[in-house]
Amino acid sequence: MSVQYAAISWNRQKKVYDITFLCLLVLYLGTFVGVGAWRNPRETAETLLIRALGTAAFLLLNVVLCIGPLARLDSRFLPLLYNRRHLGVTTFLLGVAHGGFALFQFHALGNVNPLVSLLISNPRYGSVADFPFQALGFFALIILFLMAATSHDFWLRNLSAPVWKRLHMMVYIAYGLLVMHITLGALQSEPSPILSGSLMLAVATVVSLHLAATFREKRIDCAKRKALDDGFVEICAIDRIPEKCATIVSLAGERVAVFRYDGKVSAISNVCQHQNGPLGEGRVIDGCVTCPWHGYQYRPESGAAPPPFKEKIPTFRVKVVGQAVLVHPLPNAPGTYVEPAALEPGKEHT
Amino acid sequence: MAAMFEILAKAFVYGLEVYAGLGFVFALVFVWAGVQSLDSEAQGSGVGFRLLILPGVAAFWPMLLYRWKKHVTEPLVEHNPHRQLSQQ
Ligand code: FES
Repeated sequence: MSVQYAAISWNRQKKVYDITFLCLLVLYLGTFVGVGAWRNPRETAETLLIRALGTAAFLLLNVVLCIGPLARLDSRFLPLLYNRRHLGVTTFLLGVAHGGFALFQFHALGNVNPLVSLLISNPRYGSVADFPFQALGFFALIILFLMAATSHDFWLRNLSAPVWKRLHMMVYIAYGLLVMHITLGALQSEPSPILSGSLMLAVATVVSLHLAATFREKRIDCAKRKALDDGFVEICAIDRIPEKCATIVSLAGERVAVFRYDGKVSAISNVCQHQNGPLGEGRVIDGCVTCPWHGYQYRPESGAAPPPFKEKIPTFRVKVVGQAVLVHPLPNAPGTYVEPAALEPGKEHT
Repeated sequence: MAAMFEILAKAFVYGLEVYAGLGFVFALVFVWAGVQSLDSEAQGSGVGFRLLILPGVAAFWPMLLYRWKKHVTEPLVEHNPHRQLSQQ
């Protein structure tokens, strides 16, 4: 199966999502500058804009960081996850606009290179009260740039999923740097209980959602499944799997998607060959498991893409005993046909 | 100490600027003439896609230059635990 890269793959839902988001963003920036000018008439427009852009970028980064664990905790948040990269790129663009204006206002008017000036004009790196917090924002921005620049599918495929994932995990370093950037910058110059309370609330929300999602996933991934004498392990009761959908379990160091369809059950690796999309979150359409990310298809009984396409993923032996679905944890070579387990007559559909 | 810090800061910034400048020049050539030979999904792709990957190419240009020189024609299929186990 082959798809051609598009600049941005928009569909109707994504367009609605992006337009709504852009309207909210413009509303936020306008309100921030308007209210700021009304309450502090002495502030310059540049200063208000720098603050509006900076707070918008940080708020958005918090939203982006919350979407991942929310989607893992409750599948109703999955549509937000599939559209998350536009939010991430916008976070970077807001950050770069904030940093660019600040660099121009504070460092571009002398005869020193503005970036050198940013790093050396305040050398009090040992002080808390006068810490050169702008440098922290600069390094966070470099990380956000690397993430935004590699957000296209081309990078996921060409850097390989593990490298891409590790690179994008650096967002947590950027987040930490930005929390320090705000704490040592804005909160030092303008101590305000509302500002520091909001910052603490944001950090607490991000941290607690991540902890909750991690504990939950650990339960799935570390669930002890006892192997029977023939090596099969019990997965779940058949009625836990909705028709044409899958349940996901962790076996052999990776996730397995166990699909129920047309009175049969098949198990395949959960990892799409295209870009590691979660096949178990897809559906069986026209007899094929369809990846929710870009629509690559695989036959559930063989893990092979329908001809003329050539992608293949590992399959697993599966059987149904009474109500229980059992899977053998040893993966078969990608594309190996495995007879699906047939459901008892009368149990074909929920 | 302050002078040393200034030298380091200048070396970092100028190094970054040279790296990015070289990367940008490489990226212009690569997105126009190289990307389709490295990844079949890029064949026939439009200007929008090429412009979108340009900043990333400028950042990761040594890796792409290496692959282009080595005539790599497709990214490798990844070896996750299931694929590894199934080959044993
Ligand atoms: S990850 Fe692209 S189709 Fe599955």
